[in-house]
Amino acid sequence: MWMYDKKLQYPVKIKNPNANFAKIIISQLGGPDGELAASMRYLHQRYSMPYDKVVGILTDVGTEELAHLEMIAAILYQLTKGLSPEEIKKAGMDIYFVDHTAGLYPVSAAGVPFDMKYVGVKGDVLADLNEDLAAEQKARVTYDNILRMVDDPDVRDPIKYLRQRELVHYQRFGDAIRIAQDQLDSRNFYAINPSFDR
Amino acid sequence: MMNGMMQNGDRSRLLHRIQAEDFALYEVVLYLDAYPTNQKALAFYEEHKRLLAALKEEYHQKYGPLTVYDNRNTSEWDWVKGPWPWEKEAN
Repeated sequence: MWMYDKKLQYPVKIKNPNANFAKIIISQLGGPDGELAASMRYLHQRYSMPYDKVVGILTDVGTEELAHLEMIAAILYQLTKGLSPEEIKKAGMDIYFVDHTAGLYPVSAAGVPFDMKYVGVKGDVLADLNEDLAAEQKARVTYDNILRMVDDPDVRDPIKYLRQRELVHYQRFGDAIRIAQDQLDSRNFYAINPSFDR
Repeated sequence: MMNGMMQNGDRSRLLHRIQAEDFALYEVVLYLDAYPTNQKALAFYEEHKRLLAALKEEYHQKYGPLTVYDNRNTSEWDWVKGPWPWEKEAN
């Protein structure tokens, strides 16, 4: 089960709403390498993972991704709070506003609704863990791209924190793949034979 | 009773200390998943678990529950009182 902690993992306190920033940051809510995809990926990969330590990593990193999803939501909520219809229109956010008003609906920056197609659950130890390593790097790049386009320090601060977490998760998935490979025998020396019927 | 602004400043400071301790603890949790017999990490976990529990208890007494299991007010359900975490005023 999960339990809600009534606090953000890291503070979000944005003084100036800005629809232009919200328009791009929303990709980390519902985009291909966003936090919703991250949490769904790890939390669903757990069940077919044969190694206890790796199940632990998937569970705890997946749980932290839910906290990151909430931080992104907080950033978007504060960036869009109190905007006038004129400001929304000027930023080109009217095409989102018409369907969702100021509600938070997980879509990519290009407006594509969240899709589980972004998430790989192959049911194979090596395929899944390699997916996770790539996913952390892709999320890191997305945060780098956001930092290239956002100049407000109130927004950059929590975004930088989230970027650093991708690096740490990449390290932990590096541990996970080492743990998995330590279990492989000589028949699977090249780490290419399937884990299902091994 | 202090004025609202002052009280929010104190609450905010305590919350930030909780977030810092929580961060330290969760960081070692992820590490321990991969290295469950690392004694240095286990000692770090024990130390920060204690520090975090003390800060959280202070928060629950002064400002309300952080989880549904931490309501200390026996005459009112403080859990549903805002601001909620995504609001600027909560941070």
